[in-house]
Amino acid sequence: MEFLALVITAMVPFLFVAQGTMLSGRAGIFNVSQEGLMLLGAAVGYLVSLEFGSNAMGLVIAALAGALFGALLAWATTYLRMDQFVVGLALFFLSGGLASLLYRVVIGQDQPPRIKPLPDVIFGQDVLVIIAIALSIALWWWLYRTDSGTRLRSVGENPKAADSLGIDVTRTRMLAGTIGAALMAIGGAYLPMAFSGVYADGIVAGRGWLAIALAFFGGWRPQFILAGSAFFAAMDVLAQRAQVVGIGIPHQFVSMLPYVATLLVMVFAFRWAQAPMFLGKNYDRESRIVG
Amino acid sequence: MTSTLVAARPTAQERVRTVLGAAIPYVLAVIGAFLVVAVIVLALGHNPLEAFRAVLTNSFRNETGMVQTLKKWVPLTLLALAFAIPLGAGRFNIGGEGQLILGAVGSVAVGITFSELPQVVLLPLVLASGVLAGAVWAGIAAWLMAQFKINEILSTVLLNFVSFEVLDYLASVVWPDAGAGGAVTLPIGAGAELPTIGRPPMHVGVLVVLLVAIVAAVLARRSVGGFELRAVGLNERAARVHGVRTGRVAVVSMVVGGALGGLAGAIEVAGVHHRMLEGIQSNYLLLGIIIGLIARGSLVALPFVAFGIAVLEVGAGSMQRVSGAPAELVLILEGLILLFILMSDVVVGRVSARRARVAVT
Repeated sequence: MEFLALVITAMVPFLFVAQGTMLSGRAGIFNVSQEGLMLLGAAVGYLVSLEFGSNAMGLVIAALAGALFGALLAWATTYLRMDQFVVGLALFFLSGGLASLLYRVVIGQDQPPRIKPLPDVIFGQDVLVIIAIALSIALWWWLYRTDSGTRLRSVGENPKAADSLGIDVTRTRMLAGTIGAALMAIGGAYLPMAFSGVYADGIVAGRGWLAIALAFFGGWRPQFILAGSAFFAAMDVLAQRAQVVGIGIPHQFVSMLPYVATLLVMVFAFRWAQAPMFLGKNYDRESRIVG
Repeated sequence: MTSTLVAARPTAQERVRTVLGAAIPYVLAVIGAFLVVAVIVLALGHNPLEAFRAVLTNSFRNETGMVQTLKKWVPLTLLALAFAIPLGAGRFNIGGEGQLILGAVGSVAVGITFSELPQVVLLPLVLASGVLAGAVWAGIAAWLMAQFKINEILSTVLLNFVSFEVLDYLASVVWPDAGAGGAVTLPIGAGAELPTIGRPPMHVGVLVVLLVAIVAAVLARRSVGGFELRAVGLNERAARVHGVRTGRVAVVSMVVGGALGGLAGAIEVAGVHHRMLEGIQSNYLLLGIIIGLIARGSLVALPFVAFGIAVLEVGAGSMQRVSGAPAELVLILEGLILLFILMSDVVVGRVSARRARVAVT
């Protein structure tokens, strides 16, 4: 039971960031700045919560900071048609640097004060656990059961066809890229609020990159990303346990499992785990070449 | 412009114009980034001139600063090449970190197992096994890319994480140094250490990297392979139509990148630490990517950009001591330089498009 509770908590950041990646990816924007955006979310979330004494305020401002960077990425790749990975990497550096800088300017070298953890609301779980799971289900329903969700997916699969049917490709990508990045920052802001109580430069520890893996692992579908993040989180918790008490195999091999499993899924289930056709590709309506 | 069908050799004047045309956006981007950071420094209540003087002069004030800078320049140049060469073929190698670690693994494995061998035999063996291990590690991602069309960003990133665990396992279970705190391996044999020159001592890896950088730049410009690499990067379809085996070029570029990452790991082991330890990869991957992107695929510019970034990195601490401006500003500065250089592409594109329109009408 205690194990399950730990897994559920560990799952939340993965879930927010991977669903954010999926959402913008489904519109064709392949965001690769998760690691920096999570760090920014963690720093902003921590500092604002500390300043105003309100975790909700911290989450909102962190989401806005993430949204700003997401909008910048979407703008640069739609209006300016700059390379998605190059801009994404540049924004990764900038957001990560900004996070460290903000923290250093406000807190300095002192021992940082801890912020309040998120309060439990139901079954001993905090409110973001509920939101993360509800969001996953809502995203599935929206993407697969509504007109507007299908339109968003069409932009990621074939923007030219979508454009010819009157869907505003640029606007869809701007919205999906912005909201997706906001979710990533929320995932980062959850870290100090649920685990450490403080911000540190190493707080994200590769979770941002793992969330990209998770999006592929779940075949860019919200329901499987939900299942995948439970698996990633379980391995994470199991590895920590193996490190402390020992379970017969070295904990390093347990930690490796999610990465190796993702590669295996990509190899053996490549038909199932299909990424959006236009993932990472910009759309130029004046270009005569498709793809 | 000449009216003949064969492209004429550019005149000296035209050459100067193209070089200037390429240099001006660069200079403006760097100045712009410094200006933005100066405003931030001012807003934080410090003196920007003092901060910039500290950050820029630290490497040149004495030999220690220069050696520190060169020691950073070595892995930075190699990891930037490991990123830039696959980028030439349009592939993103985000796995420089893992390739460096595997290179370190390869070289400590040989350096510890055969620690009794004399230097003539052991040192080349240590470097070669590091290069090989890095190439194999990148080769996995390249194979997955060619065989199963698995996105190389995904596979290289995942292999980074696997490599952290490999390092941790080797350093805490297989060859742990009981005396050291944390995950640190036993030292390698004396014969595996790179010789040093000068005072304070600088390992000769810097000469190896200088040679590698020159060879890479020449090959990229003058060899068939380098030409094919650029052709694939510029337009993969056109290259394929003209008989370039594009898949093979991409795979080879990844493997070469991995080999250079492995060399970086081997040099860090043989020249700097004489063992493998957790965190040996530092933040070289991140900086290598920044350098590769700032150099924009030019392998000639790349070592110079790497040197500039090394100067900034070494100066960051001194800036904090002298002016009180936080060292984290350097990362912002590097990020802004990159972003402004990328933006300048768009501006240059718009300006030349407008000129072309004016010329037509």
